[in-house]
Amino acid sequence: MDPLFLAYSYFRRRKFKECTDICTTLLEKNPYDQAAWTLKTRALTGQVYVDEVDVDEEGIAEMVMDDNAIANVSRPGTSLRKPGTSGQAGPSPGVRPTSQSGRPLSGFVRPGTQGGRPGTMEQAIRTPRTAHTARPVTSSSGRFVRLGTASMLSTPDGPFINLARLNFSKYAARPNLAKALFEYIFHHENDIRNALELAALATEACQFKDWWWKVQLAKCYYRLGMYRDSEKQLKSALKHQDMVDIFLYLGKVYVRLDQPLTAVEMYKQGLEKFPGETTLLTGIARIHEGLTEMDKAVKFYKDVLHFDNMHVEAIACIATHHFYTDQPEVALKYYRRLLQMGVYNAELFNNLGLCCFYAQQYDMTLTCFERALSLADDQTLADVWFNIGHVALGICDHNLAYQCFRLTLASNNDHAEAYNNLGVLELKRGHVEARLAFQEFLLISERRPAGHRPTLGSVGTRTYEPTKSVAVRFL
Amino acid sequence: MSLFKTREWWSTSVGEAEEFDHGCLCIANIDNDVNGTDKIILGSYHGILRIYNPRPQKTESGWSGYSPEDVVLEQAFQLPILQVEAGRFSSGSENLVLAILHPRKLSVYSISAIAGTVAHGSQYKCEGLYEHTLQRTAYKFCYGPFGGVKGKDFVCVQSMDGTLSIFEQESFAFSRFLPGALLPGPIKYVPRLDSFVTVSSSWQVECYKYQVLAVASDSAGKDESQNIRSGKRVTFDWCFDTGEQALDIAVITFPQAPPSILVLGERNIFCLTETGKLRYMKKLEYDPSCFHPYASLSEGTINYMVGTYTKSLLIYQDVTLKWAAKMEHIPVQVQVANFKDLKSCTVTLSDSGHLECVYLGTDPAITVPPQVDSRELNYSKMDAEMAQLQRKIKEKGHKAVITPHRKTDEDLQLNVHISPNLDDMSLATGIDIPNEDSVPSVSIRIQLKSRLLIDNVKVEIHTPWPLATNQSDYIIPSIEPNTPAELFVSVFQRDNSLAAHLYVQISASYKSATGGSRIITARASLPSRLVLKPVLPVKSAIHKLTIDTNKPPVNLNDIFPDLLGENAGGPGAALGFQFFGGPVVTVLASKTSQRYRLQCDRLEAMWIPLRELVSRLNQHFNRGKYGDFKVSFDGSLPLQEYFELVDAHFECRMGASKCLDMLDQRASQFRVIQKRLLTRFKDKTPTPLQNLDTLLEGTFRQILALGDAVEQNQMAQAVSANNLSSGTYLLNFLIRLWTDMTDDEFKVLENSISPVISDSTEQGWQEMTDAAVTHLLRTVLAKSAKDAAVNPSPLAIPSDTGKVKKHIALLCDRLGKGARLVEGLSEKKERTIRMPTPQTIVEDQEDQSMSGDTTAVDNVLNTHYRDKSKKKKRHGKSRNVDDLAPLGLPVLDRPNAGLNELVDAKSQKIRSMVPDLDDMTMDDSPVVNGNKEQNGERADQPFAL
Repeated sequence: MDPLFLAYSYFRRRKFKECTDICTTLLEKNPYDQAAWTLKTRALTGQVYVDEVDVDEEGIAEMVMDDNAIANVSRPGTSLRKPGTSGQAGPSPGVRPTSQSGRPLSGFVRPGTQGGRPGTMEQAIRTPRTAHTARPVTSSSGRFVRLGTASMLSTPDGPFINLARLNFSKYAARPNLAKALFEYIFHHENDIRNALELAALATEACQFKDWWWKVQLAKCYYRLGMYRDSEKQLKSALKHQDMVDIFLYLGKVYVRLDQPLTAVEMYKQGLEKFPGETTLLTGIARIHEGLTEMDKAVKFYKDVLHFDNMHVEAIACIATHHFYTDQPEVALKYYRRLLQMGVYNAELFNNLGLCCFYAQQYDMTLTCFERALSLADDQTLADVWFNIGHVALGICDHNLAYQCFRLTLASNNDHAEAYNNLGVLELKRGHVEARLAFQEFLLISERRPAGHRPTLGSVGTRTYEPTKSVAVRFL
Repeated sequence: MSLFKTREWWSTSVGEAEEFDHGCLCIANIDNDVNGTDKIILGSYHGILRIYNPRPQKTESGWSGYSPEDVVLEQAFQLPILQVEAGRFSSGSENLVLAILHPRKLSVYSISAIAGTVAHGSQYKCEGLYEHTLQRTAYKFCYGPFGGVKGKDFVCVQSMDGTLSIFEQESFAFSRFLPGALLPGPIKYVPRLDSFVTVSSSWQVECYKYQVLAVASDSAGKDESQNIRSGKRVTFDWCFDTGEQALDIAVITFPQAPPSILVLGERNIFCLTETGKLRYMKKLEYDPSCFHPYASLSEGTINYMVGTYTKSLLIYQDVTLKWAAKMEHIPVQVQVANFKDLKSCTVTLSDSGHLECVYLGTDPAITVPPQVDSRELNYSKMDAEMAQLQRKIKEKGHKAVITPHRKTDEDLQLNVHISPNLDDMSLATGIDIPNEDSVPSVSIRIQLKSRLLIDNVKVEIHTPWPLATNQSDYIIPSIEPNTPAELFVSVFQRDNSLAAHLYVQISASYKSATGGSRIITARASLPSRLVLKPVLPVKSAIHKLTIDTNKPPVNLNDIFPDLLGENAGGPGAALGFQFFGGPVVTVLASKTSQRYRLQCDRLEAMWIPLRELVSRLNQHFNRGKYGDFKVSFDGSLPLQEYFELVDAHFECRMGASKCLDMLDQRASQFRVIQKRLLTRFKDKTPTPLQNLDTLLEGTFRQILALGDAVEQNQMAQAVSANNLSSGTYLLNFLIRLWTDMTDDEFKVLENSISPVISDSTEQGWQEMTDAAVTHLLRTVLAKSAKDAAVNPSPLAIPSDTGKVKKHIALLCDRLGKGARLVEGLSEKKERTIRMPTPQTIVEDQEDQSMSGDTTAVDNVLNTHYRDKSKKKKRHGKSRNVDDLAPLGLPVLDRPNAGLNELVDAKSQKIRSMVPDLDDMTMDDSPVVNGNKEQNGERADQPFAL
């Protein structure tokens, strides 16, 4: 059997490792075999490929040294940085936990939902970064570097292509090689500058007629933080060809430029061309969620379900919405659906347990939490115990609640809410001193960015009620 | 993620360790059965052709599944089978025959059934019709009525290098290169257009007319051969840029649906019209493996199924997901077949040869969660256990669970021995003291003993600045139980400042046997000779301290045998010590009375000699434990001088914060300029910099200068902190002697007015001390409920030191009146207060914010007056206090404000009580004389307070 054929077959079956190995031997025999070379680039890219639309990690530097902001004080309801100004009726932050930046917690964990925006550079730099809340200083130093080094590890002999010695103009003129090469440089090598150079030469080589190269240029510009250039390229690409991806990237650029309304407008334009495209609908829903316009968000999530009733994110977000608007029974239905669909993790069982509890189906509550505990990892274990503590508070078993909060701290000694609630419990027992000690801990852990775990109310008042915090998250 | 799963109708696992890929599965009525039921034709990469005719029987427990009779044919070829297709490839008949693609060969076979004579059914036969040997390695082939022939299918073989070879049944027609081919993509024939659609390496869908390919030969008339090396460049009819490589192409010819071309990309599904326009697309959020359009169920739409790498089968109608079902395997190819008992059955083939005929059902895809082991619940037992556990928790609960419990016994022992003599040869290095050539050093021997073998012990020696060691940290690779490790370190003074104390701290950190990090520390006292050197006594000095004892005076030569220097052999009534690079302290012993005096130009410098003196006196008299030697202090507390130290330190702090503020401001200015410059450089059209670069450089220089200033200030702050620390030690010590404190009380005092000065940018000594002293004043020293109600001020850097000074003065006042720092001790009798500082009180008048304190300060004032008047009465200079109105002139303006009274009173007292001191030649200090002069002056304004 022809080795190249076999390698191609492996590639088709996504067995990238085998494919790469065969290509490597082929290239050893004949270093000028372009077919094998292209196949190897594509296989290596396939190993690390992440859809660029989904990647959205905002580093501190991007946030603070952002010179694209249009107005420092934005009009109400037009900015993702100051959410909750739209005056939309949603559950109050006293009921639905918010992230540090003030956005409500989403029902679905995705990049960019966890961070808050520090006000100034000084504040950002001084904010301690714990293991739980590590935020990269810049996006190019965080996640992307990790991807790059991971790929380096898989090739012990060094990189497959020496980018420094590549004659980009030669490759740019050959579209059959250039596209695969570009994806390799962009995704595998994560070398945005070189990728940009190749894309710029290639788009010139095809007389600026290929939308694909313009989108790639836009991707590079986006990574380099040149959002306006990115927007320009995308708009130009849109003139050649309507593509779902172009609308998604445009929406992403506008979100980064903090123009959520324009982003929604863009998504809606896309929907006119591609009715029922779930990714576009989800994009709109996410923005509405970010602007705390929950009703609209849920409406769009429901639209998503109309076209794809297996959409986990939509189901989870709708369920979360129902949970926080005091409809635990409805939320329970959605969560059960997720369970039937095969989502099987601690977060889901935790949420099921809470829904059961608030829907007064007490027989299921503890079973769900037992499952959640057996599935939880270190990170979620604390949250599960915290929620069991709440259930215990609900049935007035203060002893159990106390133990639960203690266990929360045992798995995560950074858990501000647990400190707070222990403090309240100690106060109820009349141990003012112990309560003060917990309050102190609370202050310490509060000083760190709390990440996904919100605290409600103001710290230090005596009428500080236990918080309801649910880790409604799916990965 | 799916709610349902596919229901199995029939399945089998084909072969062992055989590989299959897209193309290996074909569904056709290959034996041309009259019933028209489909057969499953399967070829593997290992060269085995199999044909199945699934006929499961319905039984009570579902379908019977696979039985050996279902295999219709199994034949092994020597060559791998890349693709099998059924079509009308035979020129002789219009029946379906089978085309098999091997890497270098295309063979066509006819499959026929011969009815058997026995009950077992028919027998199948595979007959070769014709075959073509291929010049190039084949990739895939497609077939169709090329050129519009009727009732025949021609074959187009695509080779790995992208060459198309057309075979018109038994005969070879021509070969063509496709332009820019690198790796072949999926190819299909569109009968309506008589064209081929393929996805090229440039990631676009290209459509080539058969006509164009056919006529594009180099030279007409020449025989076509497969073995071409070059060719005319053919151009495509249309192309559509998908931007990704495609996995499969399908040509839609359903009657209800518009004719279209479906392309399954790696990330999207595209639906194109026959002219290459996009009808719709669907972005996939998973990796698809294969797809198969099967019908058009409603007008104008296309229904297709997609297999994914997440093991699910998704059914779409255009872009709407209609059904999702979970599968057992990842399909590499999906087909739809009509069998005898089941129409439109879905046939899937997995990579490893798992062949399944499934249908969609509403069986939920139940992921059976692992059973949490459920026991028979015995509630009474559980309650008992719970109660027991609760009890245990309660017992242990008081010991903080959050902070782990520690073992007390240590694995490592740290012994520190300081050699009694100074080093013969000073080991001091890097000395930075002006006017001093050499300083002595002393050796410390550190011995580390362990009970177990301990690895990697890190020893750190911490000396109070300005003292230093020649090496401050050591790493000992391992310590064995029987051979203790020893280290020798020399300590000496390195910088020019006063040492606040002479304790050296040694810490060793190691990993205990249980894996925990442990640290043990030891503390040792250094000899004062390290910082002091004997000099001749100095007569005059600004500050003097006198301490009383209850034993006859002792010859100073006896108690300072090691610090005599040039004074050796002298009368032993006066000794002089000088700090290296610092002031001279003179110690005097009264010949007749039981008093000792220290004098020095700087108050804080007296601390170490005083401590030395008291401890040596103690040693001298209290041999054994039952000595009744006692030291007391009856003079006035040197609060005024002490406050100057506080102020000096505070000034440094203010300077530091000012510098940092400026630095902050400059740094942000720097960043702003940088940002502006950056935007200018980024601009496509260059604009003038408008001197921003000059501004940038200027700011940069300012930042550098500010950095230097911060550094200098830090040095000054360290020195002043050391001075303040010495002063605080001294003050606390004097208060102790003055009020005869117990150890407990002294501990409270030391913790409140702490001699440990640790300044951070956020909190400093002044506010911490203020808070601590205020707390004392509010609690143990509170006189009334009003005092207790005073709110503590926030722990922020204060605007001036008025408050802390006032509070310290108040504290001294209350202590002097017999208040105790520890509750439960009996009140002591009131002591005379000599020195509440006038300056503080003046400041107090400015600061009326705390009403509670003003009364307290009034008390101080009054006490002061009372004391004064008493004293004056005693001295016979009676003066009516109440007659005199307080003066408006701010006392602050006067030099030596308030100090004079104190010095005056002190000197008078000393003169009256220690007459022989006057006889000593060195006591005629000008200050005292000055005081006398000023006393006269004071008559005019005696109550400057």
